[in-house]
Amino acid sequence: MRAFLPALGGLVLAAAPAAAGDLAVQVRTANGAGVANAVVTLYPGGRASPLAPNRGNFEIAQRDLQFSPFVLVVPVGAQVSFPNFDDVRHHVYSFSPVRRFELRLYAREQTRSVRFDRPGIVPLGCNIHDNMIAFIDVVDTSFAARTDNAGRANFTAIPGGPVLVRVWHPWLRAPANQLELRADVPDNGRVAQAVPVSLRPPPRPARTY
Amino acid sequence: MALVWSGPARAERPHLDFPENLTAVIDFRVVLTDGERSWTDGGFGRSRFGGGGDEIRVHAVPAEAELVWHGPIAWNVEGNVAVAYQDDQDQPVDLIEAFATWRPVPRGPTRFSVRAGFYWPQVSLEHEGPAWQVANMITPSAINSWIGEEVKVVGLEGTATHPLAGGRLSGTLGLFGFNDTSGTLLSFRGWALHDQKTGAFSRQALPPLGPDMAGAQPPWTTPTLEVDHRIGFYGRLAYQFVAPVTLEAFYYDNRGDPAAFTDDLQWGWRTRFLNVGARIDLGAHTRLLAQALTGSTEMGLDPGEDEVWVDTRFRSAFVRLTHEIGPVALSGRLDLFETRQRGEYVYAEDDEDGWSLTGALDWRLTDQARVIVEGLHVESDRASRARLGVAPRQDQNVVQASMRITL
Repeated sequence: MRAFLPALGGLVLAAAPAAAGDLAVQVRTANGAGVANAVVTLYPGGRASPLAPNRGNFEIAQRDLQFSPFVLVVPVGAQVSFPNFDDVRHHVYSFSPVRRFELRLYAREQTRSVRFDRPGIVPLGCNIHDNMIAFIDVVDTSFAARTDNAGRANFTAIPGGPVLVRVWHPWLRAPANQLELRADVPDNGRVAQAVPVSLRPPPRPARTY
Repeated sequence: MALVWSGPARAERPHLDFPENLTAVIDFRVVLTDGERSWTDGGFGRSRFGGGGDEIRVHAVPAEAELVWHGPIAWNVEGNVAVAYQDDQDQPVDLIEAFATWRPVPRGPTRFSVRAGFYWPQVSLEHEGPAWQVANMITPSAINSWIGEEVKVVGLEGTATHPLAGGRLSGTLGLFGFNDTSGTLLSFRGWALHDQKTGAFSRQALPPLGPDMAGAQPPWTTPTLEVDHRIGFYGRLAYQFVAPVTLEAFYYDNRGDPAAFTDDLQWGWRTRFLNVGARIDLGAHTRLLAQALTGSTEMGLDPGEDEVWVDTRFRSAFVRLTHEIGPVALSGRLDLFETRQRGEYVYAEDDEDGWSLTGALDWRLTDQARVIVEGLHVESDRASRARLGVAPRQDQNVVQASMRITL
């Protein structure tokens, strides 16, 4: 899977180097369970791959008093819309230094959007509903993907050679919730890379009164 | 609610979906009880519903109907106004709570909020929701029964919550008035177990007073009253661990002036107490709640004297376990309580020791309807019951079935 398919795939494919392999990453816990919603970013040769012009439609919906998706990966410069599908109002905010903002979403079917110009993690909250949380990972490389329910993120057409693999998850037990490791991608063919992680328990819902 | 304001949602105007923000709670009750007369009826009984001695009495009553509005006043301000009908109060329809909470958008990991109005400070671990109802049971513990009747303030509080070591630390400081008579019931009646909620304008009945106090205090108290124009304060500290454990401590001092009184002899009671609480989730379906409260209250002072007329030390503790099996929640609770009199004109005959055991089955039929069946046994020993010619040691059994409809 390409990170921003279909938004970015075409261009990166066109620019794919002659010697390129595939990398299948699986993020999993010590007992082998796949970890969903981890963000895997690849830096072939330790460098970011140039981003394609951003034409993606990115959104985080508010539905049933939850953000959906829980984790969203977007390229630097992306515009993310925040449609409200609930009958109640939401007050979406982030105090992240990456992008500080607040949006007042009055009611159902109202949408606002925000542009993210710097890479990094943007935690989201709702000022009215404490238990709503989500994360946007703004990335500066085209090789980025969120793991599926089996903890898998598959990348194709990676330049062969050493690749820096960065894995982030909101509850990852590591500094800045992130760890890095090195993988070797063949010039041709496919290689699998397991990333064992340990997760902290997610924060419990706040008790309201 | 059935009514929905369906005007076009306009971007520049808040959509105050008013009826959506109304909650109505209706509580029909069938009660079987033995034992002594309730304090609500001039007796010393510890329960809201009194018996006829050895004979069992049946009460079938609409025990409560409550209407709550909770919704936005402005973008960062939520309002909560509750009005209740309780058939056995002297003001059957009364204002229960009216407060607003301001929650600015966080600018960092610390969250702040400010609450102002007429409300219960956050002491009870048993009550929840906009209608401040006991979760899974009918009758709250002795501690929280008292909070419900005598610890409600007109106040202003600020809360800061900060993530710490994977958990959450929360601190609250409040200033208040209109709670000067707090402690009257605890002193003259003692602890009780009931689900009455004191309203803004309601009185609560007192049992017969001793001969030295009968001229100083009418046989009732007004819990929401400012007598001495002194501002009281409370503070709360809570920590929610990474593990499913929350510990909290609450300290209250109404800074009442024991020498102050009104024309109808409502006094400034100096009431101070410390409450500690724990909530522990034992797996996904079982939780343990525990609270312990200790404090004192003082009333009445002759000019130039040091010794107050009434000096009541009180303490109580409970442990409660709730286990959910599908739509059914089973709860059990043990309460211990005591009061000791140290004042000049209220004597050891008004000391009291007691305990209570409560079991409840809460069956959620639909999102709107639930049935709670509860059995309560309470025993206590208080010599001043002799004023009514009954034995100092009394026990009582109360079986209640509540049909609770929430709209």
